[in-house]
This record gives sequence, C-alpha cells and structure tokens, in this order.
Amino acid sequence: MSSKIKPKALYPPGDFGIWLIVYMELITFGLLFIGYVFSRRAEVELFNSSQLLLDQKLGFINTLLLLTSSYFIVKALKAIELIDREKAIRLASRSIEIAMMLGSLFILIKIVEFSDKYAQGISLSTNTFFMFYLLLTAFHFLHVLLGLVILFNIRKNIKASKYTKENHQGMLSGGVYWHLVDLLWIVLFPLIYIMR
Amino acid sequence: MKYIWFTLVFLTVFAFLLGYLKLLSQTLFALLLVTTFIKGQLIIDYFMGLKDVALSYRLIPTIWLFLILSLTAIAYYF
Repeated sequence: MSSKIKPKALYPPGDFGIWLIVYMELITFGLLFIGYVFSRRAEVELFNSSQLLLDQKLGFINTLLLLTSSYFIVKALKAIELIDREKAIRLASRSIEIAMMLGSLFILIKIVEFSDKYAQGISLSTNTFFMFYLLLTAFHFLHVLLGLVILFNIRKNIKASKYTKENHQGMLSGGVYWHLVDLLWIVLFPLIYIMR
Repeated sequence: MKYIWFTLVFLTVFAFLLGYLKLLSQTLFALLLVTTFIKGQLIIDYFMGLKDVALSYRLIPTIWLFLILSLTAIAYYF
C-alpha cells in the first residue's frame, strides 16, 4: 500500500536560475494581464469592438500549436532517459525537431497576424485595446523566438550526446522555459481573443 | 501524457467555440475561467513537472494563475 505513495522531490526540475526567470516572467505578464482587464473597465465598448477585428481562428490554431509542441518537449524528456543511448538520442532529437517546427508555425502565423494589423493601419497608438494587444502578443512572440533558440541548442546538445539519462539538467531547464511560454499563452488567448 | 494533451486540446476547442459562436453568458464566462484554470494547472503539474515536487514550488504558479483569473472575473463582472 505505502509503496504506491511517491515521495515529493525537494526541488523542481531544471536549474534554480530558470525558476527565477519563470517567477519574474509570471510577475511581468501578470501585471500586464491585470492592466489589461482593469483598463477595459473604463472602455468596455471600445475593447469589445476592437476585439472583433482579431482573428479568433488564428489565435485558436496558435494555442493548439503551442500545446502540441509542449507535449513533444515532454516526449523528448522521456526519450532521453532511455537506456538504449542510440534510440534515446534519435527519439529525443526528433521530438525536439517537431516541437521546433510547431513553434516556428506559431511564429509564422503571428507574423501574418501582425502584418494584417499593420496593413489596417493599427499600431500601439490606435487605442488602449490595441496598445495592450500589441504589447502582450509582441512580448510573448519574443519569448517564443527565444524559446526556439533554446530548443535549437538543446537539439544540438542531444546530437552531440551531451545529455545522459542521469544528467540532462540543461534540457529540463529549456523544457520548463518552453512550458512557461505555453502557460502564458493559455491565459493570453482567452483574455485577448475570447472574453468580452 | 497523451490524455493530458487531449484534455488541453478539448478545453481549447471549448474556449474557441464559446468565443466564435458568441455564447459568452455570465455562466459560460465563469466556466471559461474555470477551464482556463484547469488548463493552466495541467501545464504546471504535468508539463512543467511540478506535480511531484514540494508544495511550495507548485503553489507559486498556481496562486499566480488563480489570482489573475480571479481579478479578471472581478474586472469583468463587479
């Protein structure tokens, strides 16, 4: 009976530094989210009418892309722990490649969305809604870009056999960062695209 | 882990349909907030791997998520 109870780990996966970054990002984005919802109270009609100009389908596709890429990061982390090293490297790098491809598609869709808004003459100074929309999504976009650079390096390290079953701390840290980007989008998507 | 991903996708489809079909009544808005919390918690627990870690580490992102969504409810309905 007691053998079924799994003891809790003392520390979270990844380096201590990555968790400091996670907490700082949560605070930064949290303040922006709170700023958005309380600014809306003063201009409800403006926020609702401006929101209609957003493409909810693109926001939805991007959510699916990020969720699925996160799933492949988890698969990569499981694969790297395989005893058969050749198989571990092959499966882990393939999962990271899929996650990178999905992340790149997210970037591509965001570029299409930003270009569309730019063509409509929408900028940071258009109104309060678009100021928050551009600030939040562009800031998040930069985080996805950084995440892709991190994943690229993880893939390089996997290929160079730098990670072992016992030591793949760098990979865990990179994974935590990518999931943070996912978590932030999970809140951002309903807030900006759906709730009215 | 496949089930976690499937749940996240299902809840995302639900959120999208609420917005796309303009079904956001006060009750469904509350449900949207709850499902967003569930999605966030699944990511925190299973993707970030905090489910089997000391509670203090798990509570920080959970409290953040709860706070943001609670304040959103207050800002939209009070």
